[in-house]
Amino acid sequence: MELKTAELQPNIQVKKSRKLSLKNRRNLLRWGISYTLLTLLAVVTIMPFLWTVSTSLKGQNETIFSYPPNFIPESVTFENFVTVWNTLNLPLYLWNSVVLSFWGVLLPLFFCSLAAFPLARMNFKGKNVVFMTILATMMIPGEVTMIPVYLTISKLGLIGTYSGVILPGVVSAFAIFLMRQAFIAIPRDIDESAIIDGANAWQIWWHILLPMVKPMLATLAILKFIGSWNNFLWPLLILEDSSMYPLTVGLYELKGTFVSNTRLIAAGAIIALIPILIVFIAFQSYFIKSAYSSAVKG
Amino acid sequence: MYKARTAWLFLIPTGVLLLTFSIIPAIAALGLSFTNYNVFQPIEWVGIENFSRAFEDDDFWNALWNTFYYWILVTPALIVIPVFLAILVNQQLMGIKVYRLIFYFPALVSVVVTAILWTWMFKSDGLFNAALHSIGINPVDWLTDKFTAMPSLAIVTVWQGLGYYMLFYLAGLQAVSKDLYEAAELDGAGFWAKHIYITFPSLKPIIFFVTVISTMSAFKEFTLMLTMTAGGPIGSTTTLVYMIFEKAFTDLDMGYASAISTILFVIILVLTLINKKALDTQQ
Repeated sequence: MELKTAELQPNIQVKKSRKLSLKNRRNLLRWGISYTLLTLLAVVTIMPFLWTVSTSLKGQNETIFSYPPNFIPESVTFENFVTVWNTLNLPLYLWNSVVLSFWGVLLPLFFCSLAAFPLARMNFKGKNVVFMTILATMMIPGEVTMIPVYLTISKLGLIGTYSGVILPGVVSAFAIFLMRQAFIAIPRDIDESAIIDGANAWQIWWHILLPMVKPMLATLAILKFIGSWNNFLWPLLILEDSSMYPLTVGLYELKGTFVSNTRLIAAGAIIALIPILIVFIAFQSYFIKSAYSSAVKG
Repeated sequence: MYKARTAWLFLIPTGVLLLTFSIIPAIAALGLSFTNYNVFQPIEWVGIENFSRAFEDDDFWNALWNTFYYWILVTPALIVIPVFLAILVNQQLMGIKVYRLIFYFPALVSVVVTAILWTWMFKSDGLFNAALHSIGINPVDWLTDKFTAMPSLAIVTVWQGLGYYMLFYLAGLQAVSKDLYEAAELDGAGFWAKHIYITFPSLKPIIFFVTVISTMSAFKEFTLMLTMTAGGPIGSTTTLVYMIFEKAFTDLDMGYASAISTILFVIILVLTLINKKALDTQQ
């Protein structure tokens, strides 16, 4: 390159700099278009949230539906939150959601990583059949088995209990699959040396392997948390006593009874959103990871 | 290294749950399709009566049509738009992560909250009609007109799904070698050329994945209809699963509802196989 003839050199440089400035100009245009599009789409995406927040902050005397729509409340008030919190059992619904989500995360993590361990790290007769059967259940939509599952829960006497809400969702083929992938990635020598040291299978699973798959456990925990926190159909079908309702079902009832009081429902919806928002912001990288791991499967 | 007995001990607890809440119910759903079970009376075998009843039932055909209609409204949009959204957020721009999070967030919102937010957007004096008013168009009865109810629900679904599917495509885009794009740029390829010859072909497996997933979820959707329109007006948003839900838990007509679930399962299976075949022949 450096051996190029002297007369050619300036020529190339002129060409290069002109090209660069063209590229810069094009980049600038690209940035402009990109940011405009991004911002426009972002505004459309959060519009319903903005509107709900604004409604929940409006006082009783202020009109909600007006033309042109009024996004900024004339006087900001938190009275709707206070009212909805005090009169509508919201703390109870919140607590019920917390309880349901706690078990709805813990039990799937436990049972799915329990089953994934032999599928990933042991050789036994019938292993492939078992694994294929588990994968095949992914093909069966929950909506198709909704009726027999409901009848099973009712036969087990679990209607009106949290067990009835939680148990159908504990085992999922997808979660077993994800945990199996995580366990497979760990070198096999670890098990061998642990066995030589006198550890049994349970100890190896609990003390050695589980701590090594923490990132996958965290990813799964987040997926399960969102699923449990938002679970609506099963609590609606199974629970009978309204004092046991989670937030989703509570809000659904609220929506029915307080059709006219938009401000209160808005405040309730915001309260339901906050935990999800916090978890989402705190663990954002795991959300991206969970999408990656499910995309790899496909 | 491990004994076979140990393996089974680890599998049994999960296996029991999987049998109880997935495998046996799947078989039972098929079995119930051939009975007239209604909770109160003993189960009676009725052969294919439920299926012949479904084929003569206008409500069934209506629900089937609504399900396909919803699918056609929702799935193409959820396959195509997120690709461009992913291309948009795959650029090295300042604050791009914040945009990604914003687009993804609606996917995490529960159906009840979604229903609350969007019922107001669609209200007769809500934001949509205010926007129409400002450009001089008469207000639309979004959720209460039988022609606009389903498209309105489709808008909500697309709003909720865009960011979700965007993440899958983003994962795919980030696996595409940057050298390919640089080489194409040197050859003078513009926006469309680059994406038609590089992006779309390399995203093919993910396009398949998104097609299957969004098809499955479109065919299973009914909580949005339950919370926003209650299947109405005049049954215009009653999907197959909504009909199953109503028949089973309102009318307690479990046998008939199971027969419809069986039909739904066959439809989903066939669509998945067609998708798979289409992808295989293309590759």
